[in-house]
Amino acid sequence: MKRLRPSLPGLAAGILAAGLFASGAVQAADPIKIGVPIGLSGANSVVAPSVIQSAELAIEEINAAGGVLGRMLELVVADDGSGAQGAQRAYDSLIFQQKVDAIITMETSAARNAGLPIVNRGQTPFIYTSFYEGRSCSPWMYVNAWVPEQQVGPIVDHFMAAFDAKSFFLIGSDYAFGRGMLEFTRDYIEANGGTVLGEEYLPMDGSDWTPIISQLRASGADALITSTAGGAPNVTLTKQLRAAGVSLPYGNLAVDEGTAAGMGADAEGIFIAGSYVTTIDSPENAAFLAAMKAKFGADLRTPNDLSVPQYEAIYAYKAAVEKVGSTDAQGVIDALGAVEVTGPRGTIVMNKQRHAPLTMYLGEVKADGSVDVIKAFPNVDPGAQCPQFAG
Amino acid sequence: MSILVLDILTTSAILFVVAAGLMVILGVMKLINFAHGAFLTVGGYAAFLTTSAGISPWLAAPLAGLFGFASGLVIERLIVRPLYDRPLDAILATWGLGIVIGQLITLAFGRGVQFADSPLTGVTSLLGPDYSAWRIAVSAIAIGVGLALTALLYFTRFGLNARAVIMNEALARGLGIDSVRVRAVTFGLGAGLACAAGALITPLLSVDPNMGLPWLVNSFMLVMVSGVSFPSLALAALAFGGAQVLVSTYVSPIVGGLTIVVLAALVLRVNPKGFARG
Repeated sequence: MKRLRPSLPGLAAGILAAGLFASGAVQAADPIKIGVPIGLSGANSVVAPSVIQSAELAIEEINAAGGVLGRMLELVVADDGSGAQGAQRAYDSLIFQQKVDAIITMETSAARNAGLPIVNRGQTPFIYTSFYEGRSCSPWMYVNAWVPEQQVGPIVDHFMAAFDAKSFFLIGSDYAFGRGMLEFTRDYIEANGGTVLGEEYLPMDGSDWTPIISQLRASGADALITSTAGGAPNVTLTKQLRAAGVSLPYGNLAVDEGTAAGMGADAEGIFIAGSYVTTIDSPENAAFLAAMKAKFGADLRTPNDLSVPQYEAIYAYKAAVEKVGSTDAQGVIDALGAVEVTGPRGTIVMNKQRHAPLTMYLGEVKADGSVDVIKAFPNVDPGAQCPQFAG
Repeated sequence: MSILVLDILTTSAILFVVAAGLMVILGVMKLINFAHGAFLTVGGYAAFLTTSAGISPWLAAPLAGLFGFASGLVIERLIVRPLYDRPLDAILATWGLGIVIGQLITLAFGRGVQFADSPLTGVTSLLGPDYSAWRIAVSAIAIGVGLALTALLYFTRFGLNARAVIMNEALARGLGIDSVRVRAVTFGLGAGLACAAGALITPLLSVDPNMGLPWLVNSFMLVMVSGVSFPSLALAALAFGGAQVLVSTYVSPIVGGLTIVVLAALVLRVNPKGFARG
């Protein structure tokens, strides 16, 4: 028993060690909070889980490597219902109650527009990771996903060059993204010497495209470009086009790899353009895909053009905080436009009026649902999105 | 035949087959079945399950119909029959039923889009220009369904009883017709027709928890205008479906989506009996 009685110096050393441990625990309990308001219900509910998975992987990797400035990262997810009302609640709660250090998320345009005033009021750095219709600007926001200037060009250029297409027919869903994309597409086609023979929209909940398809066939257009709402409208339009025997060059601005794979044979021959496809041949992408598979196994949602920017944006925030040496909001905002992040999509820096030049991939869907990359367009410029932040 | 004519004929035929189940239930039970859209969705998922089990997609609609008939009998017994004396509550109950079915489907299959195989793919030039083979097949099936339902109503014992209940339920009961049984079978038949129709239109649509909803409003308008008769439902489908195609083609598809609702309101304003005879 005697031998077990601690000596006085030993006891002192123990107390000191416990004190050190306690102070370490205090630091660990004070993580950097990253708010993710996202559409877990509503229109985005299909894609949102994949975005959260890639965010979780980024956080896990960063924390395993010692965190950011010795602090752990913590994800705070809030459902915004994919709409404006839910977004107001979600942003309010994240910024003013949870006091998150940054907002990093992929959102519908309606939810983003509702959340921006709250971001501005709370002066919280915000990285928007969803492709969108462009020209949304705030002193507190950066965007690392594509805008129409980057996506439409590759498809139209390819149709004009490879199929000698001069006349186009445009079909979309009647909402902001659908109309915004096709208006840009029309301008782009006309600026490049092509003509637009028709531009038709169906309401979001419409499901019978028959009259529009008949007009498309009667128009004699060389090529077709569509921009519907994701999910059901995209699938019904594609099915009905195929059932009607339409075999024109068909560019789809709103389909992702996963949906295309699910559509099976009907999706064959669709051209898509995006900043991410799973088949990108780089060590970063291979490592990312392997890590996703190892972490989520059978529950893995296929990484896509919405979930990968989310992963990279968290690394961009980490780099900005490390550059500044603190989470100071204004400092982080100043740094975000300069930090380079090399991720699955390559090396990206958000230095063009708060947007990022991106390598865009033009792909063609094959019969087995896989996407064949036809051509890569390196560092496509986003154009003048927010001239007030130029320079 | 020109493509426009084919568009009109096939659109009308699809509207007819989608609305038939709603009309059967309204006619005999004087009950507007707001779960009709959910029954259509169930039919879509039945087609999805059928084809993913490797069964021929041609059997999707008959199997969906059988499933719908059986479920209809159960639903009638559990939910509708206790509310016979409270018609407004019964309508509310079917509305709630539609929501419950939609949520059950979401729980079981998720919100995402599912894919079912189509019995026919591609185009046929059977009727002139190249045209979607499945739309033409659905139209032929719709005509067959219309004839079969008319025969059921006019040449069978059940049809006689059902017509008696439609005309005067109290009198029919007085004559010894088991109107409770007629109602039960009718609800099953209506649910079965709706599920089969859902499976039939699935090759043209995506299978998702809300796929039936857009069809509910148009079906409802057609049935309001046509009254309880298959020929007048066919006439209403042809007139309104044709108008929808024409407006969509020559004006705008967005206005086209409103055509049926607006026309139904106008027709009922001018002639409250709509297309029904007498």
